[in-house]
Amino acid sequence: MTRARWVARALFGGLMLAAGILRAQAIYTPPPGQNFEGVWLIQGDHSTVRTVDGKLPPLNGAAARRYAAALQARRAGKPDFDTIRTCRPHGFPRILFAAYPIEILQERTQVTFIHEVHHMPRLVYLDMTLPDLGDMDPNWMGLSVGHWEGDTLVVESQGFNDLTTLDSAGLPHSQDLRVGERIRKTDADTLEDVITITDPKTFTAPWSTRVTYRRQPGLRLKEYVCTDSNPEAQASGHR
Amino acid sequence: MNVRRRVGTGIACVAVLLGAAAAAGPSDEIDGPLIRPPTSSSDPRDLSGVWFIRLYNPQINSTLGRLPPFTARGKAEWDARVKAEKDGSPIADASSYCWPHGVPRVMNSPYPIQIIQTAGETVFVHEVAHNVRHIYMDQPHPQTLTATFMGDSVGHWEGDTLVIDTIGLNDRTWIDEIGVIHGKQLHVIERIRKIEDGHALEDLIRIEDPEFFTEPWYARITYAWRPDLRIAEYVCEENNRNMPVSGHTVAR
Repeated sequence: MTRARWVARALFGGLMLAAGILRAQAIYTPPPGQNFEGVWLIQGDHSTVRTVDGKLPPLNGAAARRYAAALQARRAGKPDFDTIRTCRPHGFPRILFAAYPIEILQERTQVTFIHEVHHMPRLVYLDMTLPDLGDMDPNWMGLSVGHWEGDTLVVESQGFNDLTTLDSAGLPHSQDLRVGERIRKTDADTLEDVITITDPKTFTAPWSTRVTYRRQPGLRLKEYVCTDSNPEAQASGHR
Repeated sequence: MNVRRRVGTGIACVAVLLGAAAAAGPSDEIDGPLIRPPTSSSDPRDLSGVWFIRLYNPQINSTLGRLPPFTARGKAEWDARVKAEKDGSPIADASSYCWPHGVPRVMNSPYPIQIIQTAGETVFVHEVAHNVRHIYMDQPHPQTLTATFMGDSVGHWEGDTLVIDTIGLNDRTWIDEIGVIHGKQLHVIERIRKIEDGHALEDLIRIEDPEFFTEPWYARITYAWRPDLRIAEYVCEENNRNMPVSGHTVAR
């Protein structure tokens, strides 16, 4: 190879590399501490949610009776309260406790959680604040807004219907439910979500629970179709 | 306003879907405060944001402006579906069962699509029936694939065009809402690029399935940049008044 050709090739290569770097800048790369991107899987069994102290959440009298009825229905094998039996959404925050992977995608103004279960997305907006609860029509996943406090993603959610329960066991809530989250990495491969539940119609005081998720390198979300008519899939609760 | 919209589409079934399509104004009409710049990014490879199909047509035509080049089987399936609809007992498609809509059908729907781009993946979050498309960038399809509703999509850039290759689709979705169907050999190649100075997105869709079409054919769909929209909650499973009975859609 002549020197001129070598120089030309080196120049071309350098230009392509520079172009590649410029291109790559179109894609947002979070600072290392705030980088939650990837696929995560919950650790431990959170089908029956307890407070961070391992206690029963502070249900008021009426809510305690509803909870007892739900537990009884579950024991009797007829948990009619459970929306996922008919492929309706888990709702929020119950979907955070599901034993299925979650993929997190980050942009400057939005953090997106794609839950494998029911292929359900949750969009957390970093560019807005919550409207008054009275101005919202309730739905399954509510509305989530967030902001960064250092390397902690602080999320507030509200606007939920009262068709769902907070966990698989049947912990109730009302439409006044507000959910706070503080999400951070406790090490490179562990994500912690401290979840605070405020619902004066159901609980005598706000309370918190904690879940951790483990990074799943190389794992891709699979297709989960609850409404698929495959009897085996439905029987096992898997795809 | 957006909050109300979120719930406005929170109920879903075919009737509502058709009703919403009929009631909607032009899909590039901005109807709320802007949450994104009035045009998409000047970077041709930055597709991030919310897009909304223009000129939605439940029937997919080829770029030649006519029905696809059906094989005898493809034509017979089309005729059967058109006749069933005319006879008042439509054959149910995937959307009627609240299944994922499949590819390329999910690209032809009168609901917003949010594109999210990360380092190794491009994700389409579709409002309709909370469909999600995962497009893995710059890598081959896995060696072995189990057929799924949404198939396996891989993407790469050719200049300023995002090329998406999709295989591994099951045969339970349709290509349109009327009666163009497909089998498991379906191979879809999409070429997606920004047009009109970032005001719109074009998806040129190459559709190949020797069982149903005599040759590969193309469809072209464009989408308007919608800086005023957020993806609303759409829960087909909540209130499906059209849940099929014996394979047919029954209005209730």
